[in-house]
Amino acid sequence: MLRFVVRRLLLLIPILIGLSILIFLYVRALPGSPAVALLGERATPETVAAINKEYGLDKPIYVQYWRYVKRTAEGDLGTSSHTRVPVREELRLRFPATVELAVGAMLFATIFGIPLGFVAAKKYGTWIDHTSLFVSLIGISIPIFFLAILLKYIFAVRLGWLPSVGRASVLIDLEHPTGFYILDAIITRNWAALKDCIEHLILPAIALGTIPLAIIARITRASVLDVQNEDYVRTARAKGVAPRTVDRRHVFRNALLPITTIVGLQVGLLLSGAVLTEKVFAWPGVGSWLVDAITYRDYAVLQGGILFLAIVFVLVNLIVDITYGVINPRIRLS
Amino acid sequence: MSVVEIESRVLEADAPQGLWSEAWRRLRRNPGAIVGFCLVAFFVTWAIFAPLIAPYGPREVVAPLTDAFEPPSREHWAGLDQQARDEFSRLVYGARYSIIIGIISVTVGLSIGLTLGGIAGYFGGVTDSVIMRCMDVMLAIPSLLLAIGIVAALGPGLFQIMIAVGIVNIPIFARLLRGSVLAQKENDFVLAARSVGVPRRQILSSHIVPNAVSPVIVQATLAMATAIVDVAALGFLGLGPPDPGTPEWGTMLSDVNRYFASGPHLAIVPGIAIVFTVLGFNLIGDGLREALDPKLRSR
Repeated sequence: MLRFVVRRLLLLIPILIGLSILIFLYVRALPGSPAVALLGERATPETVAAINKEYGLDKPIYVQYWRYVKRTAEGDLGTSSHTRVPVREELRLRFPATVELAVGAMLFATIFGIPLGFVAAKKYGTWIDHTSLFVSLIGISIPIFFLAILLKYIFAVRLGWLPSVGRASVLIDLEHPTGFYILDAIITRNWAALKDCIEHLILPAIALGTIPLAIIARITRASVLDVQNEDYVRTARAKGVAPRTVDRRHVFRNALLPITTIVGLQVGLLLSGAVLTEKVFAWPGVGSWLVDAITYRDYAVLQGGILFLAIVFVLVNLIVDITYGVINPRIRLS
Repeated sequence: MSVVEIESRVLEADAPQGLWSEAWRRLRRNPGAIVGFCLVAFFVTWAIFAPLIAPYGPREVVAPLTDAFEPPSREHWAGLDQQARDEFSRLVYGARYSIIIGIISVTVGLSIGLTLGGIAGYFGGVTDSVIMRCMDVMLAIPSLLLAIGIVAALGPGLFQIMIAVGIVNIPIFARLLRGSVLAQKENDFVLAARSVGVPRRQILSSHIVPNAVSPVIVQATLAMATAIVDVAALGFLGLGPPDPGTPEWGTMLSDVNRYFASGPHLAIVPGIAIVFTVLGFNLIGDGLREALDPKLRSR
């Protein structure tokens, strides 16, 4: 088991090196240079040279890369050229927003997705099964941003039941010891703020959670169908174990293995892929920030933000892999 | 009629047909796949015959600007947009963008990905490690973010979007074909064929390729669906074609936040077109997966 974990950790090294090289080169391949972006129309060859010298851009490329790696390893991700806020500081404020949204979306997806897939498998071949398959197929086919627009239009604009943008109302006064608003509201016992934050979370979470919901439902269905035909399930039934107990102890537990994996992988995707949902609901997370950074040619933000998200994504996948190894006796024992 | 004769007839009736004819037979029996084909055929018809189907040009202002945002009516089936252009005509022309961009970008990803995956799987060793680690790095960056980044580097434009969405697909196809090739190389039936002296070329053409290629076909169909969504997403984020008048479905949705009050149909109509096209490709992909699954064959 330890060897398995160590091996997976070692595999991470080439990926991280590759990522840092790719992102380093990518930012340099973007049209326009930082000097020109900083100076604008005042750029003369002399001032450009001065800026290049100041930022070390006149050094050979491998020296620049080494400096970049050293600084990043020290946790210095540079400063946004648009807002003048250090990238690390901004990430500290925005990442909790993205995590909160991803957790909300995942709760929605698992609470509805697993039962939907389970019932579909139990009623295999009936109209319930067909309907759930069709619904999950629609869920996979609907573009997130379209669903987000629809939800916003129906529930926020037309019905006015839920707020349409942001993480909390402007009038809400809430302290932020953790940066996770819902957690903050619970810690400070600010129930009005808690209600407000949850209301703000509902629509974005549903929009972001629909695709994972559909995927989880499909995997659950397939996995339950697989397990149902196993010998041990038949044996349990033959021994006269009550159907409910068979379902709970033999079918569901074993079917849960692939489901856990897919849930974990989806969490990784959600943490990094909430760009569109964040954009539609003006959710102040990492995704919408990066899209804006492209518009402003904010190189430090792009470099730091993409690297950060990619590392989070890789780490979450690694944790999923290791957890899978821990809960799957076939891997644990080998 | 002797027993042998009867049995031989039964055997004849059940004789395994070629992989493709059997897959086709099963595909035709799958109602989902049929619906998928109809949906895709419908939008492909739109794309090919757009000038004949659309009552107006995609950029043609068909009414005074005071009539902008007019809801759907008998004259204008999908209403008018913010510049008093016929929304239905724009939708029909938009099918061209979505489908052509989808096809080209999947082809880009597929051809590069398959070449890399094939090389990695065939040669193995260091080549395999280097190629696959590069693919891992690409997969570590969330796909939409990668596409956004590429468009940002290359500048806006249809060609750039196709390249961006295509590049995102490369690692997926590379992994897929490498996995297939590796699995087939050591498969029992390949070893068996080799041991009874089947010529190498025949092993390749009748055992390895058909089995390695079917997951690729399935993935290509599903990738079309994702590509259409990704292209629309780029358009929605304002990274679509540089001319904002281009009737690309995603671009048509990009300003919609501002028009909720005046013309909600503008938010709904292009979205529905995207959903149905994507649904069509997903249904075909699912149907193909079932039809080409070797485990389900001859059932």
